[in-house]
Amino acid sequence: MRKHKHLDFEINLIPCIDLLSTCICFLLLTAVWLHVGAMNVKQAVGGQPAEETAKKPLVWVNMGATGELTLDVQETGRVPVKLRKIKITGRDGKPNHADLATTVQELRGLEPSLATALIQPTGVSAYEDIIEIMDTFKKEGLIDLGVAPL
Amino acid sequence: MLANTVVKQSALPGILGSSSVLAPRGGERTKKTGSADLLLTALIDAFSILVIFLLMSFSSTGELLVVGKGQELPKAARADMLERFPLVKIDEGRYFVEEREVSSDGLVAELLSLREKWREMHPGEEFPGVLTIQADRRVKYEIMNSVVLASSQAGFSEIKFAVVMK
Repeated sequence: MRKHKHLDFEINLIPCIDLLSTCICFLLLTAVWLHVGAMNVKQAVGGQPAEETAKKPLVWVNMGATGELTLDVQETGRVPVKLRKIKITGRDGKPNHADLATTVQELRGLEPSLATALIQPTGVSAYEDIIEIMDTFKKEGLIDLGVAPL
Repeated sequence: MLANTVVKQSALPGILGSSSVLAPRGGERTKKTGSADLLLTALIDAFSILVIFLLMSFSSTGELLVVGKGQELPKAARADMLERFPLVKIDEGRYFVEEREVSSDGLVAELLSLREKWREMHPGEEFPGVLTIQADRRVKYEIMNSVVLASSQAGFSEIKFAVVMK
């Protein structure tokens, strides 16, 4: 009689555990828990005459001390004159980002080539408010951003 | 070996002794070994989940910035990846260029010297002119203004504000 060969086999799990433990230790040691990114801003450093610079539609954003924002659209022929200066009142002393997003959407609807925004903060503007405005602009497609010094 | 040891007295029979994963044919076993069985599959499952989670949050760039105690970076959803560029840190109203404290008046000179050093190390290459600024989210712009002005004066045309990704 031929002896039946067992089809079951055993896997030695100890090396697997060793490998996984080593992986976990390495990954825990090298883990980065805080994901830091960067908000890119282009600054003018001068050197190029103003007349040589290509005129592109842009929006100036003046930040007020109590969160109000004044948008001033320049170098555009598509945005009606009455919409070129818009004031957005603040909420609890901070800029109203929801209203800002809606306004930028409207402006981009009228002037699709609008992609530049220059932010003019005041001395008391908080850094996080400036970043949040930039973030709102980026979400709405304004990718060329700048911050004007005081 | 275990006859008179403490292990013999304290060893518990395995919960699923008859279906040990280490021995798939455990059911056939009748002889009691006297040692506790461990269900290793569950352990390997847990380890695998941990490894997958840690791999997903793994960053190959490492930590480029050291965020000090009490410092909170602003949050942004549309931030780009941070790269290694000269760093200006604002901490409690003091300015640090590459971890060296400088006064607000000395910022331009320090940034110009960084620029010169870069030119010496990369002759013939175009200066990228990128600067990273790290500051607490509550800092007022009047404090940051010195860095923004100094960067323009020293020929740094691009500023990267360090933020925490939302």
